[in-house]
Amino acid sequence: MGSYAVLYREMLLFKYKLMRLGYVFYSVSTPILYLLAFGLGFGSRVQIPDYGAFLIQGIVCMSSMTNSFNMVSVSVGMGRLHSGEFQTVLTSPVSASSVMGGLVLSGIIRGLFASSMILLAGLFVFHVFPFTTMGLFALVLNTAFFSAAGVIIGVIIDDMENHAVLTNFIIMPMAFFSGTFYPVDFLPHWLQKVVWIMPLSHANKLIRVGELNSATASSFVLLSGLTLVCIAAGTVMLDRYTE
Amino acid sequence: MLLEVMNVRKTYGKVVAVDDVSFNIGRGEIFGLLGENGAGKTTTIKMLSTLARPDSGRILLNGKDIQKYRRETRRRIAVVSQDMNLGYELSVFEVLYIYALLRGIRNSRKLIDDTIEKLGMTEKRNAKVGTLSGGQKRRVMAARAMISGAELIFMDEPTIGLDPAVRREMWEMIRQMQSDGRSILLTTHYTDEAEYLCGRVAIMERGRIVSMDTPQSLIDCAGAFAVDINSRTLLFRDSGEADEYIAKESLTGHRVRQTKLDDVLVSSIGRAV
Repeated sequence: MGSYAVLYREMLLFKYKLMRLGYVFYSVSTPILYLLAFGLGFGSRVQIPDYGAFLIQGIVCMSSMTNSFNMVSVSVGMGRLHSGEFQTVLTSPVSASSVMGGLVLSGIIRGLFASSMILLAGLFVFHVFPFTTMGLFALVLNTAFFSAAGVIIGVIIDDMENHAVLTNFIIMPMAFFSGTFYPVDFLPHWLQKVVWIMPLSHANKLIRVGELNSATASSFVLLSGLTLVCIAAGTVMLDRYTE
Repeated sequence: MLLEVMNVRKTYGKVVAVDDVSFNIGRGEIFGLLGENGAGKTTTIKMLSTLARPDSGRILLNGKDIQKYRRETRRRIAVVSQDMNLGYELSVFEVLYIYALLRGIRNSRKLIDDTIEKLGMTEKRNAKVGTLSGGQKRRVMAARAMISGAELIFMDEPTIGLDPAVRREMWEMIRQMQSDGRSILLTTHYTDEAEYLCGRVAIMERGRIVSMDTPQSLIDCAGAFAVDINSRTLLFRDSGEADEYIAKESLTGHRVRQTKLDDVLVSSIGRAV
């Protein structure tokens, strides 16, 4: 019931945001701009077979990351630092794991919604729909990881300005270097090693394979492991939350 | 005793927010924490509601340490915050329904509708919180405490910024909660509010409780007769003592009156009255 309460609240707020069309435009306009600029601009000039599908998959992953992370971290951060709504949740008899569960689920739903918008845009522009069951798995793991990370960031920041700094220095570089617009193999060798620790690069790998194989099993295990660690850490932080 | 607070201290860096504070609250009692901004009232409520951990001291609810039994404590308490923490995009009903879900109250729709009706806000049931007046928002916040089923309610300056008529409506709501068997810890800097509502009052200054008793006992102790001389007020135990002082100082343009809790507050926090 506790998780449901948190999820229900987040979904109501999400519904009201969706009803304001400006929000939908804002949340998908940048990814669609990337899709058009890179897809139509580079297109066949890039030495990647079926670059349109490749690009759509990358941008779907990137959008799922930014939407899950931003929505959850802003909701927690603003609720904690400005409106005080988050304190209402924390002083209620709901367990930390239930609060975490509700927030992560809300982030997954928001991330999947944004992803589906990009897939539809891709279908409209490139007439392809590059999505598989494995892709859905990858997106759920990716959104769960970044939602949990959003909770952690929302709990630790002491000013919303810090949120913008974290987004610019962690989330944006991850979006550009993790294989969203071109394969990670194109990067210098030393940078590939750095990219390997970025969860988005593993989500990108997984979304582009139709089935789990020996080449991608490590990505699946790593992303799953990171997600579990992040959820556990966020739950402990909520449980020990103090002002 | 329902709540026992024993020698509690809380610091933030080098700032001592609450220092060696002790008091208790009985069942069905309205206990007031009176003091200026920064006196430590809100920090005290944060500790009592498990949001902040004291550096030292103990807080017991029904004899159990609130930090050790946090979830049980949270089931028994409700907090009406100083901030309007309602979610402006949600409707009145949605705010209360979500709160009921958080409290684990099943089939809450009738309870919520009855409470909304009791508050005279039936026509605002589906209105967005952001469109309500300040008084209506405060009523919705109090409504959350009413539906919570909590036995101890912390109200942090619940009437701040309200006009006199709406303040009195809030007072009646607080009285209603008391007659429903709830205990209430009320922080305020309105002395008339504390005088009207509270059985006992503690005056806080710079994190410490400087005096604590019933409002009348605090007035009697400070001196029941007040003499206003320009912007200063002097307190005297009886009218004879006041007359003697006036004659001795050959005062003119002064005014003799009954002491109010306001005078006691200013006197207690070490200012010249």
